[in-house]
Amino acid sequence: MNWKLILRILGILLFIEAGMLFLCAGVGLFYQEKFLYFVWSALVAIIFGTVSQLAGRHWSGRMGRKDCYMTVTLSWLIFSLVGMLPFLLSGSLPDISSAFFESMSGFTSTGATVIDNCDAQLRGILVWRSLSQWVGGIGIIFFTIAILPAFGMGEVKLFAVEATGPLQEKVHPRISTTARWIGAIYLIITFLCAGTLVLCGMNIFDAFNYALVTAATGGFGTHSDLLRDVYHSPAIEYAFIFFMFVAGINYTLIYHTILRGRIRQFFHDAELRCYFVILMAATALCTLALFISRIDWSAGFNHIGTLFLFMEQALRDALFTTVSLQTTTGLATCDYTCWPLAVIPVLLFIMFAGACSGSTSSGFKCVRWFIILGVVRNELQKILHPRAVLPVRMNDGIVSTQIVQTLFAFTALFVASFFGGAFILALFGVSPTADAQIFDYYDALGISIASLSNVGPGMGYYGPLHSWSILAPVSKVTCAILMLVGRLEIFPVLILLTSGFWKKS
Amino acid sequence: MKIVIAGAGAVGTHLAQLLSKDNLSVVLIDHDENILGKLNNELDIMTCAVSATSIDGLKKAGVENADLFIAVTSHESKNITSALLARQLGARRTVARVDNYEYMKPENRIFFEKAGIDALIYPDLLAAKEIADSAQYSWARQMWKFGVEGNLLLLNVKMGFQENGQESNQLLGYTLREIGMRHGHSFHVVAIRRNNETVMPHGEVRILPHDIVFFMTTRDEVSTLRHLLGKDNYPQVKRAFIIGGGKLSVGADWALPEAMDLKILEADETRCEELGRLTRNRTLVIHGEAHDMELLNDEGYGQHLEAFIALTPNDEKNILACVAAHRKGVPKTIAQVENLDYLGMAETLDVGTVINKKAIAASYIYQMLLKSSVDNMKILNVADAEVAEFVVRKGSLVTRYPVMETGLPRGVNIGGMVRNGKGCLVGGQTVLQEGDRVVLFCIGGTLKKIDKYFK
Repeated sequence: MNWKLILRILGILLFIEAGMLFLCAGVGLFYQEKFLYFVWSALVAIIFGTVSQLAGRHWSGRMGRKDCYMTVTLSWLIFSLVGMLPFLLSGSLPDISSAFFESMSGFTSTGATVIDNCDAQLRGILVWRSLSQWVGGIGIIFFTIAILPAFGMGEVKLFAVEATGPLQEKVHPRISTTARWIGAIYLIITFLCAGTLVLCGMNIFDAFNYALVTAATGGFGTHSDLLRDVYHSPAIEYAFIFFMFVAGINYTLIYHTILRGRIRQFFHDAELRCYFVILMAATALCTLALFISRIDWSAGFNHIGTLFLFMEQALRDALFTTVSLQTTTGLATCDYTCWPLAVIPVLLFIMFAGACSGSTSSGFKCVRWFIILGVVRNELQKILHPRAVLPVRMNDGIVSTQIVQTLFAFTALFVASFFGGAFILALFGVSPTADAQIFDYYDALGISIASLSNVGPGMGYYGPLHSWSILAPVSKVTCAILMLVGRLEIFPVLILLTSGFWKKS
Repeated sequence: MKIVIAGAGAVGTHLAQLLSKDNLSVVLIDHDENILGKLNNELDIMTCAVSATSIDGLKKAGVENADLFIAVTSHESKNITSALLARQLGARRTVARVDNYEYMKPENRIFFEKAGIDALIYPDLLAAKEIADSAQYSWARQMWKFGVEGNLLLLNVKMGFQENGQESNQLLGYTLREIGMRHGHSFHVVAIRRNNETVMPHGEVRILPHDIVFFMTTRDEVSTLRHLLGKDNYPQVKRAFIIGGGKLSVGADWALPEAMDLKILEADETRCEELGRLTRNRTLVIHGEAHDMELLNDEGYGQHLEAFIALTPNDEKNILACVAAHRKGVPKTIAQVENLDYLGMAETLDVGTVINKKAIAASYIYQMLLKSSVDNMKILNVADAEVAEFVVRKGSLVTRYPVMETGLPRGVNIGGMVRNGKGCLVGGQTVLQEGDRVVLFCIGGTLKKIDKYFK
């Protein structure tokens, strides 16, 4: 392992985090509240960064395969560890496990929170949460490559480890240019979102925070209440729906098609279609269920206007919730946990499904569903035509067997992580009241998938209405680990736990 | 600048690696997805899994706005076709690799230029030239000429063992400062390669056994250097032995001087007959295995031989044969090593000069490319360092102060210069003048930083 090189890179990353902390200190200063806790946190980051830089100053050689995985996983862990300092130093969260949870939930752009009352928090803390999601959403290493000049230490390999999805495509031969283009798209989406929200009547502070977390498909809010109870504005809800949907689209696709004026090609992309179809199907089901459950049948259909109002309301709720859950954002306008039981599996599924690869959303991702669908279709074909040679097709190309194989390993691990997480959570108990043992598994499954897919709100008690503060410290750490595993797509974390990784060879 | 390289073989990959370090946008295309997948995550380039001769594929790779298209797949005809297609699609310059001497003839050049291929490269020819050059300067591993008439020389010499007895090296064991005081300024150490790493030379660096030292010297002083290095007893190469009768051996045969007594050993009988037709008259083709010691001894292997050149397709055989020849007392050995991973190892073994066709081809294209983009710079890639030739412009920073005081970045070493057509070395007190051609040795990517000193 090339520790000097790893330390050198971690040092650079810590300086970047220190910069982010100073930015938040500036926000604190601007709003004339206490901000010194950010300065201290930043100093800690700088001290560790400097030590790390000094330790790695005589680096030589190149970045090996193991070093990449080590660097990426460590960088996310260290970012979260340093990122929890503001919560501890400002006193907004009392214990380490909560602060670590909150920080990890931020950087992995999950959005689950253990802060009971966001409205009472310092503005600096709120901005720190949003900013951590924004940086984590695009990826810590990615962010670094985009803003720093090339440091020539194997960033191509780090980039490949951190990037999500089974197929990775560059938009430009040079990695830093690629990162800048994608970063520019990200920035544009963020600013458009903020602008739209302001136009819809949101105040600027909230708008910027929500824009950061929407573009990152994170879901931290500046208010603990549901968005509807705060703003009462359908326009804001539709704006959110639109931008969450956009943030779930593959940025590389946006670059290749929309920025190049190839709109037609954009709509022909297999993954985007898959994303759209899953989303629309889920929305249709939810709308129907909501409509049927909410309407007062005994009152009859005497007033057509009320009917439309009902329908619009049901559609908006369903659309917002499905988009929010599928893109793994986790913002909410209504409490979907009390929706008809029949749609709960649908919601669980879309939380699992995720949006497109190459976007800021997490979860399983639609491209994988598309490939799995192709494999299943081929298997059926094979029963009819045993000797047929059937490649998995996608976007005029063929998905290689190697990718399919990796995909199935990933699927198995994803499902295993989901159940493993749920098991540990259930073991330590998740029920808010002592007598509700029976709901433990239901809640645990919800928490597990919400953490693993980086969604945010889960099921049962842990829906959008409540914070997760009542979880036991062990469960909080478990959730934080699940978030990290889900964000880095399992392999980079898992490989560190194998004995082969640590063998000298 | 956008460059598209077709063919992710050894040349293409090596070239992509060289170019991507220079902040150029490189797209590498190949039909084999598996090779590309690995490279995509290793190098800072974009890869594209398409055929080099597919129009759609070339379009996808963005050939339309490529400044340079380089076709280096393993098939000659494929290279030519794809370069022609690329030119028609809009590539500004095209280069194709060929395997045919006929195409390289000057009279056919116009023909290819008309068709749309700006340059052809033939790795065997380049390698043959290099073999001939290094056989002539048998005591140095490699030699490069600079200046208008080539009167500045860059030499690469491996320091032997002191206990060897054969060599009486007067530089070994001394620091560069001591050497400078003793022997004046007849040469200049520009880089030292030790344990596969390039060491920055400064006054306190000591020259150790096994070091590979790069000297800059003038043509007049080269014999002094040779004497100091104790390489006087390296005779001029009069008799040489080539094992392996491939295309490269034929090329080497034509590139080596007529007066040389040359023998080519080839295992395949029919090929031997062919070689008889292909080689020059003075060459003796011998049918036999390279490991047949008796045969080799019969043919004057050992004391009566000045150069041993191993050009079989088998790298291991070449390296071992050269090591054995060196033990036997052959002063100059040259081995063809095609596996790039063996290069470093062969360098540390007792192989005089290592020839790698792919690396030679790649660095030739690299030079060609840089020549075309920067008007007055000639570049060589040697030992992790770049050798550049600059013409000093009027009023540039370096003309104002002596070299010592200009504050050139660490890692940049002025080797020598050509002033009024005469090569001379540059010391700390030298003040450069307008029109001087300066040869710089830049270690560790410092080349980019020196532009401002010369403008």
